Amino acid sequence: MPWSLLPRHLLARPVRSLLTLGSLAIAVFLVCFLRGVVVALGAGVEAASDQRLVVQSAVSLFVNLPRSYQPKIKAVPGVRQVCKLQWFGGYYRDPSNFFAQFAVDELLLFDAYPELVLLDGDKTAFWGQKTACLIGRDLARDFGWKVGDTVPLVGGIFSRSGQNVWNFEVAGIYESRTANFDSRTMFFHYDYLADSLESGAATGPEGVGVYILKTERGSDPTRIMAAVDALFENGPQRVQTTTESEFQKQFVTMLGSIPTLLSAIGGGVLFAILLAALNTMLMAARERTRTLGILKALGFSDRSAFGLLLGESLVLCGLGGALGLLLFMALAPGFNQVLSQFNFPALVVGPQTFALALGIALSVGLIAGLAPAIRAARLEAIEALNAER
Amino acid sequence: MESKPRTDPDQAPRPPSSGARGPALIELHQVTRTYRRGGEALTVLDKLELEIERGGFYALMGPSGSGKSTLLNLIGGLDRADGGSVRVAGEDLGRLSAAELARWRADNVGFVFQGFNLLPVLTAQKNVELPLLLTRLSAAERRRRALHALALVGLEDRRSHRPRQLSGGQEQRVAIARALVSDPLLILADEPTGNLDRESAGQVLTLLRELNERAGKTILMVTHDPRAADAARTVITLDKGQLGGIRQNR
Repeated sequence: MPWSLLPRHLLARPVRSLLTLGSLAIAVFLVCFLRGVVVALGAGVEAASDQRLVVQSAVSLFVNLPRSYQPKIKAVPGVRQVCKLQWFGGYYRDPSNFFAQFAVDELLLFDAYPELVLLDGDKTAFWGQKTACLIGRDLARDFGWKVGDTVPLVGGIFSRSGQNVWNFEVAGIYESRTANFDSRTMFFHYDYLADSLESGAATGPEGVGVYILKTERGSDPTRIMAAVDALFENGPQRVQTTTESEFQKQFVTMLGSIPTLLSAIGGGVLFAILLAALNTMLMAARERTRTLGILKALGFSDRSAFGLLLGESLVLCGLGGALGLLLFMALAPGFNQVLSQFNFPALVVGPQTFALALGIALSVGLIAGLAPAIRAARLEAIEALNAER
Repeated sequence: MESKPRTDPDQAPRPPSSGARGPALIELHQVTRTYRRGGEALTVLDKLELEIERGGFYALMGPSGSGKSTLLNLIGGLDRADGGSVRVAGEDLGRLSAAELARWRADNVGFVFQGFNLLPVLTAQKNVELPLLLTRLSAAERRRRALHALALVGLEDRRSHRPRQLSGGQEQRVAIARALVSDPLLILADEPTGNLDRESAGQVLTLLRELNERAGKTILMVTHDPRAADAARTVITLDKGQLGGIRQNR
């Protein structure tokens, strides 16, 4: 097989090869990016624990549940722990500095979410002070906060009398080992919120947004969900218990058809690039007619001609794919920094991204190279030699 | 490279022989080749009978359309006869599959074309090395043989040049080096001087003659040029797809 011809043929038309390589690289980059977004949107669902259930109002996520439900839920057989989770909805100085904040049962938080790992500070400091909070690693990085700092937040759902400022002391910085929690969230004492409401220092909805249930190992979640729902069937507030993954799916569903749209755009980009690569390879094959005739006259087989054309396509597209992947890997951290400011989950770069990029590139190379390669194999030496005369 | 033994040399009726130097290397028996163009059949070779002796230098002449190039292509295994048999060194080419024929060409035939047919992306040395890629020779040995072949045609110093950096005569000499590098049984040249000036044509013909006389290569050369034909020892004339005549030079 005259493989030494392969790079020489690619370099024979450097501009065309570079343009095809560039278009492949951009297409693979775009597909990796779009796929990264879709995967990131579903990452919370994928990473959801099968030991956690979520109890919310059957009416809406925006309707709170009574605090009195907590001990009743905990009494359901198979339930090991119940933790309050209340959306706070504040912001730091300016509404553009928005991030997620939750009021929680501080003593139960790490039991409910063992994937949260403290990078700095300690749990006892968090537990010991009512105004203490935990912040995610990315929040600390973006706002320059560190343990011991006071973070003033402007209330959103919950207004505080006076200047509407809630002060929190940073007791720890965490990162999440799984994708169901980002590292841009703040957790603080539920009692700080509840006491402020009870004392009249603040106003806002009473109750609890959702309860997070930790189930006993080996228990049947379906049975527990049915039992909890049945407990409050007659009010005062009916509940809907779901698995954590179902709960997470609600947020992806709220985005409507965006994941489908992104996937469709990615597919469209791929199809367009496939046509471009096919066009390049058909042109290359036509230009190689005389070369193929010479090679066949010299005794090279039809299989060699096939391999030469297909190899050219695979190398060109493979290089384009590798370049696109490198581009994506180089730019992904920057994208993630920008996306995190909008509370968007981080793009996922992993072995699946590698497989996707190279799979796409080589598939395009295979499909685009197949027809010219078959034509090359079928070409008669004498016909090819006469074609150029 | 060794030639393959002939099979049953005396069983078929003896066609017109083109010389008397030794056993026939090429035997054509009742060879017919017909092309179809737009539904019309054009018989280019019509029941041709011919024998070519081993070690000869033959010029194949005749008017345009007489079937010279078609005959060359059939003998070189680039084309197949519609009827009759083409035997080269005892091998019936009509019985070989496409892959076997390709292998046979690599082992037995060196081609020299009018348009040189060098690969423009390769240097002279790499062009000459091409047929050796089909062998099991090491890269170093391929290089050594290619340089030797280039030295034989007087172009060792042009080994790094690409075809477009060479004159027509030099290109054709590189093509000759490529044709002989694998030590083939037979060199087939289709109008090798057709695109060359008189001086370059003279050099190429001298080279072919030396290959025949010194290396004992059997050469079959299609030409329109009587001066080129004079370089050969035997001139075969084709006319309307049939043998027109055979003449010995000198």
